[in-house]
Amino acid sequence: MSDLDQVPGEPVAAGSTARVGTADDRTGTDPLWRAVRLLDVSWGRAAKAIGLGSLALASSVGLAAVAAWLIARASQMPPVLQLSVATVAVRAFGISRGVFRYLERLASHDVALRGMASLRANVYTSLASGRTAAVAGVRRGDLLARVGADVDAVGDVVVRAIIPAGVALVVSAGSVILVGAFLPSAGLALLACLLLAGVLGPWLSARAARRTEERGAAARAEMTSTVLETLEGAGPLTVSGRLAQRVDSLRRTDRELAAVTDSGARTSGTAAAVNNAAIGLAVLAALLLGIPAVAAGTLTPVELAVVVLTPLAVFEAAGVLPAAAVQMHRSRQAARRIMELLDAAATDVSEPPSTRGHAWSDRSEVVVTRAACGWDGRAAVTGVGLLVRPGRSVAVVGPSGVGKTTLLMTTAGLIPPVAGSVSLDDAPIATFPPDDVAHQVVFVAEDGHVFDTTVLENLRVARGDVTPDEASAALVDVGLDEWLSGLPDGVETTLGPDATTISGGERRRLLVARALLAPAPLLLVDEPAEHLDPATADELLTHLVATSRTGGRGIVVATHRLSALAAVDEVLLLGRPADASPDAPATVLARGTHAELLAHDEGYRWALAQETASV
Amino acid sequence: MKPLDPRLLRQARAARGYVVLTAVLGLVTAGLVVAQALLIASVLAPAIQGSLTLPDVATPLSWLAAVVVVRAGVAWAQERFALKAATRTVAELREQVVSHAVALGPRWLATGRGPAVATLATRGLDDLEPYMVRYLPQLLLAATVTPATLAVVLGLDWISALIIAVTIPLVPLFMILVGQLTAGTSERRLQVMQRLGSQVLDLLAGLPTLRAFGREHGPEKRVRALGDANRRATMGTLRVAFLSGMVLELLTTLSVALVAVGIGLRLVYGEVGLEPALAVLVLAPEVYLPLRQVGMHFHASTDGIAAANQAFEVLDEPVPPVGTTPAPALAGARITFDGVSVRAGERDVLAPAALTTAFGARAAATDASGTGATPSGTVVALTGPSGSGKTTTALVLLGLLAPDAGRVLVTPRDGEPVDLADVDPTTWWPQVAWVPQRPTLTPGTVRDVVLDGREVPDADLAAAARLSGLDAVLDVLPDGWHTVIGQGGVGLSVGQRQRVALTAALLGDPARVPLVVLDEPTAHLDARGEQAVLDAVRTWRDQGRTVVVVAHRTSLVELADQVVTVASAPLPPAAGTEPAPSVPDASTASASSSGAVA
Repeated sequence: MSDLDQVPGEPVAAGSTARVGTADDRTGTDPLWRAVRLLDVSWGRAAKAIGLGSLALASSVGLAAVAAWLIARASQMPPVLQLSVATVAVRAFGISRGVFRYLERLASHDVALRGMASLRANVYTSLASGRTAAVAGVRRGDLLARVGADVDAVGDVVVRAIIPAGVALVVSAGSVILVGAFLPSAGLALLACLLLAGVLGPWLSARAARRTEERGAAARAEMTSTVLETLEGAGPLTVSGRLAQRVDSLRRTDRELAAVTDSGARTSGTAAAVNNAAIGLAVLAALLLGIPAVAAGTLTPVELAVVVLTPLAVFEAAGVLPAAAVQMHRSRQAARRIMELLDAAATDVSEPPSTRGHAWSDRSEVVVTRAACGWDGRAAVTGVGLLVRPGRSVAVVGPSGVGKTTLLMTTAGLIPPVAGSVSLDDAPIATFPPDDVAHQVVFVAEDGHVFDTTVLENLRVARGDVTPDEASAALVDVGLDEWLSGLPDGVETTLGPDATTISGGERRRLLVARALLAPAPLLLVDEPAEHLDPATADELLTHLVATSRTGGRGIVVATHRLSALAAVDEVLLLGRPADASPDAPATVLARGTHAELLAHDEGYRWALAQETASV
Repeated sequence: MKPLDPRLLRQARAARGYVVLTAVLGLVTAGLVVAQALLIASVLAPAIQGSLTLPDVATPLSWLAAVVVVRAGVAWAQERFALKAATRTVAELREQVVSHAVALGPRWLATGRGPAVATLATRGLDDLEPYMVRYLPQLLLAATVTPATLAVVLGLDWISALIIAVTIPLVPLFMILVGQLTAGTSERRLQVMQRLGSQVLDLLAGLPTLRAFGREHGPEKRVRALGDANRRATMGTLRVAFLSGMVLELLTTLSVALVAVGIGLRLVYGEVGLEPALAVLVLAPEVYLPLRQVGMHFHASTDGIAAANQAFEVLDEPVPPVGTTPAPALAGARITFDGVSVRAGERDVLAPAALTTAFGARAAATDASGTGATPSGTVVALTGPSGSGKTTTALVLLGLLAPDAGRVLVTPRDGEPVDLADVDPTTWWPQVAWVPQRPTLTPGTVRDVVLDGREVPDADLAAAARLSGLDAVLDVLPDGWHTVIGQGGVGLSVGQRQRVALTAALLGDPARVPLVVLDEPTAHLDARGEQAVLDAVRTWRDQGRTVVVVAHRTSLVELADQVVTVASAPLPPAAGTEPAPSVPDASTASASSSGAVA
């Protein structure tokens, strides 16, 4: 197929993300081809698979043709020796077909599976280097569908469309030439029937697929999401009586899927009928053309047998093309969804990191100057100044939703400031490669992810060379000693998916332990003491600050618990001025040490009093 | 492993009719195949042997044309109904698997089966489609076309029939042999696929965390390695699975070749006529075709059967028994925990351990107003160190988790105590509202998420939002109630998410929903935000509801009418039915409850 010529034998480097953005200029905007490029297919391997497949089918056609010749010739009762070549050839074709077919199937599946692995890795790489929000904005079910079924669908295009199409083309052309050599008109008739089966059938399927696939894909993604949401929210759904509703909506999306498949099935039925009829027509045409030709003497009776019986074997190749055409469409839809995700994640390269090769010390400083922080140019907090330096500890306090997290993320260079500046070692933080920044400043999110792996591996997310002893020590430090001793395999215990098997408080402390193991000199920790009882919470916060100070680390803690803040060097109280409108951005209402704020700030005193009212 | 599992026909209605239809179409196909071969031979033989004009063979040619048309019709019907039946079968199984997995409860889902069931329900079951559309029809054709054509060949030339008859039994023999070899690998492959699915997803879900540590490029290798592992596992299976295909093709094509050569040589000596020889030549591949197709789709079938088996495995998992007694009216009822213990996950810890307490309608039910009908509400705080089983206690109370030891009794006003284990949960849940520890929100606008299909007057909605403090959140959202929130409520902080869930829980009718369970509702709230929750809890109490809160904060504990301390204990080594030695909850509970009653 001409598709193969588009990317001739191009050696593709693995893992490069630049191609995601630049694929368009060479292959147009077809998402399928952009995705196929990310399969990193070795076109040499694909050509080999096509070659093997063609040999397999050619054996089949050869067997039919030579056997027909043999029988027809034999009926004329020639000396047996004249048939010996034919008998050997028939037997050889009988063997070679199976062998070549086996090799072709292995070769094509290998190409596809390699491609899927590459595509998955490429998707991961693109998302890893791209905007984080792109991943967070996708439903979990959709994400699973994209890295799972959608990647498979793109890989399937190799096995089910590209290679079969190539084989069909080679074998059909050969057969038409073979039959045409005996009787040109029969060759043309065969060509017409092959076009019927190999072009009309697939075209019918493709047309219907174009109409229905999109609806099917949407229904499928909807179904996947519904299934996952139902399973994840099983408990709350059951109790609130919304479960039946979810099962109903699952049934509804499944019905929608069925309706889509039905309309597709009618057309694939037609395609099957066309393919089937084409074989019969080819035989009929060969008889109608061949019998007069024999009578006219332009065709020998033996050749008539070949011309009539060969087509019976040829259509096997064209028979898979309707399915191939449908696969192309299915894969294109899948590719479109994958590309949407990747495009959303594609980083804005208008201002690439410029400061490379900076000599990092463990004395890095982050200075936030008159910054406004927020998302999409909308400031949530304005006029913030903040100094993060090794050995210094700062607490950011204020009501929930005031923008503490946004401030911390801005300080970490994860989102650009709306106004003002954030600098790292005297240069704008955005000019450094994100990796370099992350090795100096670590932001610990309040809903940090606990991976479906061992406790130790979860801690190694912070630093790859954490030893089991260091891990145990870190866990004991944050008060998880009892929890640790209850684990069947200690730090080698595997935590369940998304850590639903550990309690909220244990989870928080695990995240803090992980943060403390990070090698970065500056730590920004969001709500470290959530889900903990007051005593444990204060103990953990005190420990966090003390450990940072003795380790010569700089730390910023966002919290709304005030009672342990005597330990920090400075407290920033964020909030909206009393006279501001509710949607005005927050700002720093007061700053100073815990003691100073207690002495001078009414609101601070009240908030602390709420906490320590009893117990 | 059976090629056609009777359980599939039992579980999926759509599969039954389909099998019958396919068998009928198979019989028709058999007749057409034979007719086509005989007609071709009857035209071709005289054409080869002597001069012949088209009018001489007009009748058989028109019959041949008719056969071609009918075969096309049969092919249409087969394809059309196969796809239809497959989609419906997958849908039926999917619904059963999902419903059953949910019925198995939170503990079963938390053991790692959740993602596995998700993969099975979303992708794994799709393997049934090629099984039903490609494999099953060929299996039935093998049972109809193969014997029919073989019988015709026997009538035409018994030696050819003998060659075929000898090779045919080898086909299933090899299939069984290879099938046994591949069964294990195919199931392993499905497991690898599921593991890969959940691990890659886990890495993607954790990407923000990885990026924060600057470690996002490490797992790239892991993703690649997972893909490679999957490829190697799959290729290993395919090498064996395709081997069966090769043996089949080899056997069948070689037999056709042998039949052709044999009959050709016998033609030379005039032992057989040309017309039967041609008919046999056309028929010989048709005898094997269904068998070859069965072999070709064999790995599709093992995948399909493995997926079906996994589905049956989930379906065969016994659902924890649920009671059948209708729940007593909760309003004014008393709930008693009697030595309740639950084993914590796979750890050797009981959390809670032997929890004994009681709460519910207070004696003050007949109050000064004289009506006596409205029970006074009460607030029960569950406290204890983290990991002691507070959330688990809440799950037990919700009837989502059966205690490993002990029982929960519900004593309605003026009624006999009922064991919660005997209560039909579908009559229990409508009386309960629950805000879980980590609320998962469905994507949509804030309004849709809060309402979740319920019809609620705007005034009530606004009131609920005011009570939960959601109104303050709405003020800062760009589109207020109509702000679209993403998966898990992206764009909202965890605290804001909790307020959304809180608001949704507030919308219930207090009379019909007398019990509210809140898991750490003040988590993620600041001191002032907490005040809003305290007000909400007070409101519920004033409405006469029993509010059970998993609480850490003193303010909430202070508000509580009763404090229940939950404690964990190591699992007794004997692992017997007796729970750990009792911890003194009851005394704590009664001691702290007395003073708090206003």
